[in-house]
Amino acid sequence: MSDPAARPAPAAPLLTAAGMTRRFGGLIAVNNVSFTVAPGEIFGLIGPNGAGKTTLFNLMTGLIPATGGRLSLRGTDITRLPPHRIARLGIARTFQNIRLFGNLSALQNVMIARHSLTRTGVLPGVLGLPGARREEAATRRRALELLDLVGLAARATGQARNFAYGDQRRLEIARALALDPTVLLLDEPAAGMNPNEKAELSGFIRDLRDRFQLTIVLIEHHVPLVMGLCDRIAVLNFGQLIALGDPATVQRDPAVIEAYLGSD
Amino acid sequence: MLQQVLNGLAIGSVYAIFALGYTLVFSILGIINFAHGAVFTLGAYFTYTLLGGVFGFNGLLANGQLGIQLPFVIALPLGSVLAGLIGVLIERLAFRPLRLRGADPLLTLVSSLGVAVLITNLIQYLVGAEIYNFPADIYGTLPKAVNFGTAGAPVPVRTVQLVIIAVSVVILIALTAIINYTRFGKALRAVAEDATTAGLLGINTDRFILLTFFLSGFLGGVAGTLIASSVSIAGPYFGIAFGLKGLAVIVLGGLGEIPGAVLGGLVIGLAEAFVPPQYSGYKDAVAFAILFAVLLVRPRGLLGRALVQKV
Amino acid sequence: MTEFFATNGFLIVSMTLAATLALSLYLPLMAGQLSLAGPGFYALGGYIAAVLSDGKHFTWQGDLYPVPLVLLEMALAGLVCAVAAVIVGVPALRLRGIYLALATIAFVEILRVVSLNVEITGGAVGIFGIPQPYNDPSKLAYLWLAGPLLVGALLFTARLERIRVGRAFIAIREDELAADAMGINPTGYKVLAFTLGAGLAGMVGALSAHFINTWNARQGTFDAGIALLAFVLIGGSRSALGPVLGAMILTALPEVLRQASDTGGLPAWLGQFMKDGRLIIYGGLLVLGTVFLPQGLITPALFERRRRKPPAAPVGAKGEPPL
Repeated sequence: MSDPAARPAPAAPLLTAAGMTRRFGGLIAVNNVSFTVAPGEIFGLIGPNGAGKTTLFNLMTGLIPATGGRLSLRGTDITRLPPHRIARLGIARTFQNIRLFGNLSALQNVMIARHSLTRTGVLPGVLGLPGARREEAATRRRALELLDLVGLAARATGQARNFAYGDQRRLEIARALALDPTVLLLDEPAAGMNPNEKAELSGFIRDLRDRFQLTIVLIEHHVPLVMGLCDRIAVLNFGQLIALGDPATVQRDPAVIEAYLGSD
Repeated sequence: MLQQVLNGLAIGSVYAIFALGYTLVFSILGIINFAHGAVFTLGAYFTYTLLGGVFGFNGLLANGQLGIQLPFVIALPLGSVLAGLIGVLIERLAFRPLRLRGADPLLTLVSSLGVAVLITNLIQYLVGAEIYNFPADIYGTLPKAVNFGTAGAPVPVRTVQLVIIAVSVVILIALTAIINYTRFGKALRAVAEDATTAGLLGINTDRFILLTFFLSGFLGGVAGTLIASSVSIAGPYFGIAFGLKGLAVIVLGGLGEIPGAVLGGLVIGLAEAFVPPQYSGYKDAVAFAILFAVLLVRPRGLLGRALVQKV
Repeated sequence: MTEFFATNGFLIVSMTLAATLALSLYLPLMAGQLSLAGPGFYALGGYIAAVLSDGKHFTWQGDLYPVPLVLLEMALAGLVCAVAAVIVGVPALRLRGIYLALATIAFVEILRVVSLNVEITGGAVGIFGIPQPYNDPSKLAYLWLAGPLLVGALLFTARLERIRVGRAFIAIREDELAADAMGINPTGYKVLAFTLGAGLAGMVGALSAHFINTWNARQGTFDAGIALLAFVLIGGSRSALGPVLGAMILTALPEVLRQASDTGGLPAWLGQFMKDGRLIIYGGLLVLGTVFLPQGLITPALFERRRRKPPAAPVGAKGEPPL
């Protein structure tokens, strides 16, 4: 790969956010934010607490409706689509405050996310018709592969809520990958990880990008990780986009130093 | 026309008072207290007892009677206070343990349903399923009906209906005053607005919740007594049916909206009053048809804020 | 043994029907939805059977009502109830939270008022003398229909939990928003779960109408909904077997105690109370169960969807094994 930081955003972006806005009562959580993400890019989203990063993720995945603005994936408007439609179009995510199906096994968590890529209906499934059995076996195999990828294959039958924090984050990534996404949104993937795990995370995320031809947008507080990993970085403060560019440029931006690096 | 309007306002204002009991609890806990209908029933039976009423021969308390006979102006508030205390008891036994555990509202809903069934059937076990009427002389020397028309074209409205409207207006004014001018009311509005902010304000949540349940139970008791005075106590189940209608009222007004409960009550009361006599059998379905219509067209209700979902 | 079955035929079939009905409540609960409409669909199914078998619609020869016609009624009742469930369910299930409980209450009440007022249901009096498919005073023969229905429903439900559709239900129950973000359409699957339950309740109703022999507006009441809820919650709402067991035990309990008190083994008042105070006990069990047995018969995990975050670290968290 060529030096990613030097690569400009190509003319045909994969993901385009134009004037994204979200109000909660009087508060403007996300204010007129515009950016594009190129295919294959690792795009960082940083900013102080309460800057609106997670809200932006929620807007991008349809979990909360936008007050204004437009979001498109490969030129298709997805602003008003419900979360499951957006997921099926190829945007998968993890959650900052981990939202696994805690009472279910790791395997079940991942198998659930294969839902939109499988089709067995009630009757063929209940009757265990050959097609249904084949699909079930394939789903299980694929889920085990993904668990293996994140290093959890040995604990596939363990209940998700009993996993350590770092393992839960990895399981969330496996679950998101089960959707065969084109865009993966990672909300603070390093949170709660120990220094060793954090060190490995950069390589792991790059590896994911290459292996699955993913485009990755990630929210992260751990500055060295973001600076070393991301091709470009967007900085939010009080809901507004205050800087956008490659890590070196963003790092030197006075507004960023003032708002984020200075205060954190 | 005027007759229907007044009758509609009378029943509607009782719906409003009753539904406010649901709303108070919902606005602070986000839970519908299904036992509210049973408290309504209890309130009516309490007042009946305090008025010196005699029980039938079917239940465990067969032919029982309280030694005293209180006048209606005292029995009504006293019976309602007792209902309020039952509300407090329900909070302690069926709500608080689940709240402390952080259980899902759906589980609390089941527990409150359990209380409703428990109370209703306990009443049946104690005093039987018969219909009880308040003594005919509770309004003393007042005439049975008031003519709002002329001697030639009479528009009689039963005195009871007018008393109900008067009592309801008094209660609503008192409640407005409580909500707008007392510490309790300020806390209530703060919590309804935003639970976290309220926490920061240093509100003693436990006592505050108890007070809310007391007020809710009191309102249920008043509503039960008023309906019983207008018609009768139709048996232990009469609060269940009324309680279900109350749900339609709060959905119409907007879940957790205090003015919404009043508006919803009046709208449903009037809608029922204008059901043509030949369809009177369907009167009890009106509220539920409205509930469906609201869910279809405007789930947040008339005065509700946009449904916010926490992510 | 034979004598036991002969004298308790009615009870045994009642238990079987109650267990199947409990499964009809369990199905929407699998997707985290509390429906109180079970008795409504049950009542609707019963009316369908009672009307179809009144001699003016279906015709048959001989004294006994043909079993195939009962099966046909059950199928029709299931179908009609499923359609009704879609109509009732869609508006309520687009929304998150308690709206299904409210909509189902409204449905049950509207159905009750209508059945009291229209002619075809016999108004307040109801329908009498519903024809019998079996010549068996003990009514035990109904087990030929009720038994397979229960076994079929139980197998269906248990199997459903292990396949794609059931996993979607369970994902919604665990965390509706996360399920949505994983490509599952929550409204669609909530409606499906509710519809499956409604169809089953309708089938039980159709069979019950023949079994009970008479049908009226008292069949589908709010109370019956509570009894169902007690069956499921006391029996255990974590697997298909729980509701079945709960329903059987709670249906048999009053009768068992009555017989026990008849034989002098128990004080008479206890047996009497178990009979008259059955609903007092159910109500109490619901409260006690939700308060004291969250990890036992009732698993709160079922209801705790997004309220509580998973623990940051496994601090001695020892849950039971997954489904």
